[in-house]
Amino acid sequence: MYDAPHMTESHVTAAADVKIAARNVQVYYGDNHAIKDVNVDIQDKTVTAFIGPSGCGKSTFLRCLNRMNDTIDVARIEGDIRIDGQDIYDKAVDPVQLRAKVGMVFQKPNPFPKSIYDNVAYGPRIHGLARNKAELDEIVERSLRRGAIWDEVKDRLNAPGTGLSGGQQQRLCIARAVATEPEILLMDEPCSALDPIATGQIEELIDELRRNYALVIVTHSMQQAARVSQKTAYFHLGNLVEYGDTTKIFTNPEDTRTENYITGRIG
Amino acid sequence: MPLIWLAFIVLAVATLGYVMGWRRALSTVGGDARHLHSLPSYYGWNVFLKVVVPAFGLMIAWVLIQPLLIDRSVVQLIPETEVSEGSNIGLVMSEVRRTAQGITAAVAQGDMAPDMATDANADAAEVAQVLKDAGQIVTSDLSPAIVQGAQRYVELSSFGNLLMSIAVLAVGLLAMAWAVRESTPVFRARNVVEQGIKALLIAAASIAILTTIGIILSLVFNTIEFFRLYPAGDFFFLLEWAPSFSGRGGASSLGVLPLLWGTVYISIVALLVAVPIGLFSAIYLSEYASPRVRAIAKPLLEVLAGIPTIVYGLFALLTVGPLLVSVFGDGGLLGVSWQGGGRAVITAGLVMGIMLIPFVSSLSDDIINAVPQAMRDGSYGLGATQSETIKQVVLPAALPGIVGAILLAASRAIGETMIVVLGAGAAARLSLNPFEAMTTVTAKIVSQLTGDSDFASPEALVAFALGMTLFLLTLGLNVFALYIVRKYREQYD
Repeated sequence: MYDAPHMTESHVTAAADVKIAARNVQVYYGDNHAIKDVNVDIQDKTVTAFIGPSGCGKSTFLRCLNRMNDTIDVARIEGDIRIDGQDIYDKAVDPVQLRAKVGMVFQKPNPFPKSIYDNVAYGPRIHGLARNKAELDEIVERSLRRGAIWDEVKDRLNAPGTGLSGGQQQRLCIARAVATEPEILLMDEPCSALDPIATGQIEELIDELRRNYALVIVTHSMQQAARVSQKTAYFHLGNLVEYGDTTKIFTNPEDTRTENYITGRIG
Repeated sequence: MPLIWLAFIVLAVATLGYVMGWRRALSTVGGDARHLHSLPSYYGWNVFLKVVVPAFGLMIAWVLIQPLLIDRSVVQLIPETEVSEGSNIGLVMSEVRRTAQGITAAVAQGDMAPDMATDANADAAEVAQVLKDAGQIVTSDLSPAIVQGAQRYVELSSFGNLLMSIAVLAVGLLAMAWAVRESTPVFRARNVVEQGIKALLIAAASIAILTTIGIILSLVFNTIEFFRLYPAGDFFFLLEWAPSFSGRGGASSLGVLPLLWGTVYISIVALLVAVPIGLFSAIYLSEYASPRVRAIAKPLLEVLAGIPTIVYGLFALLTVGPLLVSVFGDGGLLGVSWQGGGRAVITAGLVMGIMLIPFVSSLSDDIINAVPQAMRDGSYGLGATQSETIKQVVLPAALPGIVGAILLAASRAIGETMIVVLGAGAAARLSLNPFEAMTTVTAKIVSQLTGDSDFASPEALVAFALGMTLFLLTLGLNVFALYIVRKYREQYD
């Protein structure tokens, strides 16, 4: 029925604002072939959701996008990942600089054992983004506002970040990631440790952040993928099975594996 | 009957009780263990515990109380004239006890006729001669009163021992009969055994705590005794340490300050060596080293902790001291003559620092490893380098634990003796020069108590006051360490 892979259509139409382009990406953990031949184009100012059963490689692939896998000794990556046309695995690219540009929010909220202010100011300080205290104050306030947590913490910026509730901690972590002025935000199951109310707040925040960033979110919740994303990629056993508009994936999937997963027959 | 035999008999009775309890419980339900409340072995253990606990309890109490009662009874036999000038009734009583032991041993060997041992009219000189021939140690002038007291002592103790054996066995057998009768299907033997085990564990914990309290009390009372003989003001504020032993006469100056200063100074030098090296090696091992390097390097480093301190002392005396003299001494490499001899603060401090490296590094390494990976990921995810992450995230999170490790190392340094004795010398001195010989509290405790010392003199009792000072110092450090750790501990999740 189709001569070309099914994703071709979507990435051709959106080629104008492709932010991340991955071609033939392979990831090995020691002898384990964790990611097999993944091709994907992630668009700017869009929320892209990675879904799939546990161990399917979606988090692994996410961590390739800001070279977090470099910190794991046994991980080996092949293929080509380009952000704005620049190969991020090129020798000329400093992974440390890359990670400032591609922010990351983790599964469990992980504020540093510092004050709320210092948590947010951490990135700007190590990258020298502020020339003086006033500028730093401004960055912190702007980031906390973007993280939709400013009103809750503005009176206690010197209180430890670890003293906040789980949902607040996760929004603090988002604000912390935003503070380094990234262009892309990667979120690895950002709501899996949160209750439904905090999840709702984070999802609202994700929708707002879409105006400024390209967002990639890994999630186990298909409802969440359907609610927050415009594009969805379905991973299965290390393969990217299907990638396309969220509405299409959830209403009319082309691959039976995707359909089985979405309808709850597997996974 | 010797105590050990009595104990074995009680254990045998208890084992018999175990079997009987088991059997009886099973027989009441016709051999079907499913109708019992507990497994058959619990009925056995129930009987065992109920025999052993009261029997041994009675035995221990008896052994502790009997000598007190006998002493009180025998002391009435000793006329006051026996207590010579400058002595006291306690010394006479220990003489009586020693003679009594001699008589018992002599009778057991067959060197003394049993009737001589009990004969109240026996000639004191004759008894003494027989005891000496039997190889027992007694003083030459055994007075009749002491011999009579000793005889009475022997008589009472053998009677007491007999009585104890009977009482203990009776209690054990009665308890066994009672506990075996208890072994019915409805009896909750399992719960009773559970209680027994709990009591056993509590007893073990109490022994540890009571021993600590006992040691502290002995320190406190001896310290008070010392301050009765020697003015506390002099001890705390005198700037001189010059004990004179009773043989030589003259008054002693027992000021603690020079010793305390030596202790603190050497400890500071040791920590200046141990903390940076230990901490940096911990950071390298936990953050940078590959698993293979770590697997080899960490045990190697910990070998340092296994070296006996006397070996470090030799190392200080024979290697480090001469080496330092060849650098800082007269005609040394630097052309200065700061250091007179191998024994100096810096020698002991350096070697002690080497000894403390594994303490600091091993503990810090564990603490740094306990910082969650999520913290590091968060930092790397923001574009921080490894050293930025360590400096700004990992170390602050691990700091309370690291401070705890350092204070623990400081406690070790303060309590260290052998390295000081061999490396720092024995001169108590108040000086800032690290190339001079100094000494510490611990080294002086050793020198005050070794040799022929009279334990009633302030020169010997001062050891307890010094020990108390050290104890308070390390206790204070430990409390401070706990406070720091509690106050600044970070909740990671």
